Amino acid sequence: MATTAVLRLSGNFSQSWNSILCRHLSCGASRNVFNPENKEELSHSTSLTTVRSKSTEVAPAAPKKPYSPFQVPFKGNKAEYALARLDDLINWGRKNSIWPLTFGLACCAVEMMHFAAPRYDMDSYGVVFRASPRQANCIIVAGTLTNKMAPALRKIYDQMPSPGWVISMGSCANGGGYYHYSYAVVRGCDRVIPVDIYVPGCPPTAEALLYGVLQLRKKVKRMNTLQAWYRK
Amino acid sequence: MASIIKVIGNVRRIISHNNGIIGSFLKMFRHDDLKWGTLVGEDKYGNKYYENNYYFFGKNRWVSYPQSSGFDFDASEIPPEWHRWMHYMTDDPPTKVPLPQRKWMADHTMNLTGTSREYVPYSTTRPKIQSWVPPKSSD
Repeated sequence: MATTAVLRLSGNFSQSWNSILCRHLSCGASRNVFNPENKEELSHSTSLTTVRSKSTEVAPAAPKKPYSPFQVPFKGNKAEYALARLDDLINWGRKNSIWPLTFGLACCAVEMMHFAAPRYDMDSYGVVFRASPRQANCIIVAGTLTNKMAPALRKIYDQMPSPGWVISMGSCANGGGYYHYSYAVVRGCDRVIPVDIYVPGCPPTAEALLYGVLQLRKKVKRMNTLQAWYRK
Repeated sequence: MASIIKVIGNVRRIISHNNGIIGSFLKMFRHDDLKWGTLVGEDKYGNKYYENNYYFFGKNRWVSYPQSSGFDFDASEIPPEWHRWMHYMTDDPPTKVPLPQRKWMADHTMNLTGTSREYVPYSTTRPKIQSWVPPKSSD
């Protein structure tokens, strides 16, 4: 009796063990079935974390990004190092005092006014509207540039002091936009003056213009005025 | 008197939140703002999200960008699931209610404007208009 019980028990045990094994195997199989999808998803993204915990899991910290875009070693080329630091200083001053000339031509100018208003406070970025091109170093071309206005825009651009930037705001200033096929409209203000930043939209939101100004700040930060002079 | 005690308490909390006086100075230097609050979560890029309802609506949720962004951070680094929370579309942060992950959801890339890898648009249609060719002088 006891032996049969033991046998039965052992039989049961082995059966359950088998079932566990089988489940394990089947589990592995199902995981194999699901794997390709997961791999596909993983191959689409470049993230270092798994798909499930993407929103919350933390990837290993990337190295600290230095302030200056010019990483010149000090040893061996001290003059270039000094000029890189001077360039940093100049760019710091320039990027924190972008004074745009208001060139409001159409409805985009309203969004430009919103950018000046307290919510998207442009003064906090050192962006201050000037009424004269002699005091400005940036033009925000906000609106449709017509053939009649084009010579005036060019004249005003030429009156700006030397490091001048242009932000083309809205699809009309970018490439004619809605009035692309009109006989009275310049198809993009970059046919008249060189443009640094194109802000898309019809009209772009004040937030988009703010983002454009941030991009211009990054561009100004990369300027290598003195280093280019030294290399020449 | 009570207000003075409140101000002193806030200053103490701000300094302890930002890792001491030097940490507060560095925070001010980089983020132009000093606040104290509770850490709600951290995303895959290392952005840290804070909340404190002591501050007014619109200022009570904020993000602290990682050191890998340096001084070139901007708000496009916030992933969509946290963007919802930051813009008050929902009160549940993705640490509590995770969003479904679709395979078309792309990772954030830095804006490459002004670099050699910038996006340059091109036309895929035949031009409908002919541009004016300026007459050349014969000499």
